[in-house]
Amino acid sequence: MNMVEKILARRSGQKSVAPGDVVVADIDLMVMHDLSANFVMKVFENEMKGASIRDPSKLVFAFDHNFAPATREAAEALAAVRKFAAKHEVQHLFDSGCGSIHHVIMEAGLVAPGMIVIGCDSHTPIYGALGAFATGVGNNSMAALGFAHGKCWFKVPETIKIHFHGTPARAVQPRDVSQFVVGKLGEDGAIYKALEYAGPYIESLDVNDRALFPLQAIDVGGKCGFVNPDEKTLRHAQQLLGTRRAAARFELFQNDADCRYAEVIDIDVSRIEPQVACPPTVGNVKPIDAAVGTPINVAEAGGSTGGRLSDIRTLARCLANRRIHPGVRLQVVPASRDIYLAALKEGLFETLHTAGANIFPPSAGSNQAFNMGALAEDEVMISTQARNFPGRNGHPKARHFLASALTVAASALTGKITDPRTLEDL
Amino acid sequence: MSQTIAEKILAARAGLSHVTPGQIVDAYPDLVMSHTATWRSVSVMKKIGAKRLYDPNRLAIVLDHISPAKTEKYAADQQTSRNFAREYGIEKFYDVDAGIAHLVLMEHGHVKPGDLIVGTDSHCTIYGALGALGSGIGYTEVASVWVTGKLWMKVPTTIKLTLSGRFAAGVSAKDLMLHLIGTLGADGCGYKSVEFYGSALPAMSISERMTMANLAMEMGAKCVFVPPDDATREWLLPRLRDPASYRPVLADADASYEQSIDVDLSTLAPMVACPHQVENTKPVTEVLGTRIDQAFLGSCANGKYEDLAVAAGILKGRKIDPRVRLIVTPGSKQIMLEAMRTGVLATLMESGALVTNPGCGACAGDGGMMADGEVSLSTANRNFVGRMGSNKSSIYLASPATLAASALQGAIADPRDLL
Repeated sequence: MNMVEKILARRSGQKSVAPGDVVVADIDLMVMHDLSANFVMKVFENEMKGASIRDPSKLVFAFDHNFAPATREAAEALAAVRKFAAKHEVQHLFDSGCGSIHHVIMEAGLVAPGMIVIGCDSHTPIYGALGAFATGVGNNSMAALGFAHGKCWFKVPETIKIHFHGTPARAVQPRDVSQFVVGKLGEDGAIYKALEYAGPYIESLDVNDRALFPLQAIDVGGKCGFVNPDEKTLRHAQQLLGTRRAAARFELFQNDADCRYAEVIDIDVSRIEPQVACPPTVGNVKPIDAAVGTPINVAEAGGSTGGRLSDIRTLARCLANRRIHPGVRLQVVPASRDIYLAALKEGLFETLHTAGANIFPPSAGSNQAFNMGALAEDEVMISTQARNFPGRNGHPKARHFLASALTVAASALTGKITDPRTLEDL
Repeated sequence: MSQTIAEKILAARAGLSHVTPGQIVDAYPDLVMSHTATWRSVSVMKKIGAKRLYDPNRLAIVLDHISPAKTEKYAADQQTSRNFAREYGIEKFYDVDAGIAHLVLMEHGHVKPGDLIVGTDSHCTIYGALGALGSGIGYTEVASVWVTGKLWMKVPTTIKLTLSGRFAAGVSAKDLMLHLIGTLGADGCGYKSVEFYGSALPAMSISERMTMANLAMEMGAKCVFVPPDDATREWLLPRLRDPASYRPVLADADASYEQSIDVDLSTLAPMVACPHQVENTKPVTEVLGTRIDQAFLGSCANGKYEDLAVAAGILKGRKIDPRVRLIVTPGSKQIMLEAMRTGVLATLMESGALVTNPGCGACAGDGGMMADGEVSLSTANRNFVGRMGSNKSSIYLASPATLAASALQGAIADPRDLL
């Protein structure tokens, strides 16, 4: 069995499972952001009268889309979730400005290897980088199965292994590689599959960078994504858990040597160029040449895909003692309060602010433009966001390109989509 | 003939040797400020078929109220303003990252003593902190001034406010103004010019003067003046492109005032404006313990560096009450940068605050909306029904020190207890 199969077997009380089996497994953590928490809460209260929450300690609400509600309706929705949490003794509520949901939850030490995590957010598979089985579910499933029973049924997925080897060229970042995978497999390339990311390249990355891969599992239709836990996973998990939940114990499930794959895909990282997901979908991934020169109005690095401390350092390194292009609004959105404070104390914000960037509170950034980042009809944005669908950031005709933090920085400097390899000192 | 500051400035800008209160003059403003509402003035200009500006150098545009856009409508409006600025070569154009128009224009040296400044914001009176005549007008009038260069104005009568003594610890310019607004009423200075004098003034910082000139609007003032002195010169000279243009306009010694009011600052206590009028003021001791859900530190009244630093001084090493959402919005990019450099921003974050990008923020309903029944304590200048969200929410106004003390308690608190 592989990691996913072992976790599903253990948590459903079985010795072994195989792809295609349907299991009912105990859930360890149920995560919802401000939007989904409100939906799930309504389903629970309106459609399931009399039901009670099986184990409120397994619920996590993190308000990341609204860092400060911009409308009365949003204020009411957040207030309703706060009230619901108080009534049902849901203790893990991270209020507005906490950061990007998955980052916040990992930093808080709430996720451990071996867990089953479900979330009303399609990027929930990110926890696969920490040795957990994690997947997105709908609001109804969350309320009816997760809230009420603490359990969920799963069909054990088949697994596709993607084996990465080679050394990336200069200015090619993990985001470029993770986007390349989406482009190569296609948006329906791995429907209901588990995706394992493996090989020397993945092993060389730290856990925060590895996380970009399972995060994008959904973009090829995957059920989940994971990296077979190793020494790095263990140390990272211990670091996250150790400081916050001293007594935490967890079980590390690793692939058996003879585990089987539906398919093995080989990728030579050294041949990958910087990649952009062009409008109108995340699957429309192309080598950056296809978009180079496109004038931009907004550039954004933020959230769990571009607001990590390493991303902010990359930006600061690129923009130190420079000014961004006067026609560009550069938005920097740290993925958590800890990252905000760390970047502030390192002087990174001073550098970025002086270069012309606008620093925003920890959050999911302009994702769906709740507090920021709406575009006018003919405007163009390049960002590290996870989604670029039409209308998601303002006008349906506005265009949104997705790229690495480095490409975003290079583009902010020139005012147009720019290949970071062309800027000598980046 | 002896004249007050307002009379002198209006006479000079109308090309007259002197004017008297009640007289109507055609004045030529030195600066026309427009903020997020700029697109409205642009559409008025289009509607009347005007193509040329009287003088593009007299326009200043700052996108501050909804910054950045959160809907495609706002995005399109901001684009209209940006395109207008580009088309007409408006050099004093500041985009959504700059901060609150008033603070940005003063920081960048676009405001100097003796200037006549009008703009699409009622708190334009703030420019009086530097000895300029600032007054708010509508966006239609702004379009008219853009095109004709002039505006008719009635010369106001002037009230003299003399300040003596020193603030007790925990009491600040905000408390002084809430005291005055409460005493004189929201219409206490209706269409009057207000001139500040007294032995207390030389020691008052430019930041405090901005708070005073800003809030005088809430007692109806047409314009406000803190006569330029050494502090004004010291603050402003490094910011002016042409230092020789620094020419203070002062009132004549025997100018005539409609009314004189004396205030001894040492007698003042921390004040709070209670829902739903600014004039509904009470000493903080009368509302102690009122539960708050949100605390907002920001706005052109109290989003300046000194305001952030005062709050940080109280919050340092402490955690805010977990039931309170403390939102801090630095007034401008420069203010935010200074707060980064001095550690004020880190202190605020560590206490549990949410620090936003610079701008008007929650004061203008940009983020920080409140739900039914919620209570906000704010350092802004208005507490009208529904201004920060639900019509069933309520807003108390107070100083940065009172705000910080209250955020720690989760309820309105007296900052003097923490000093």
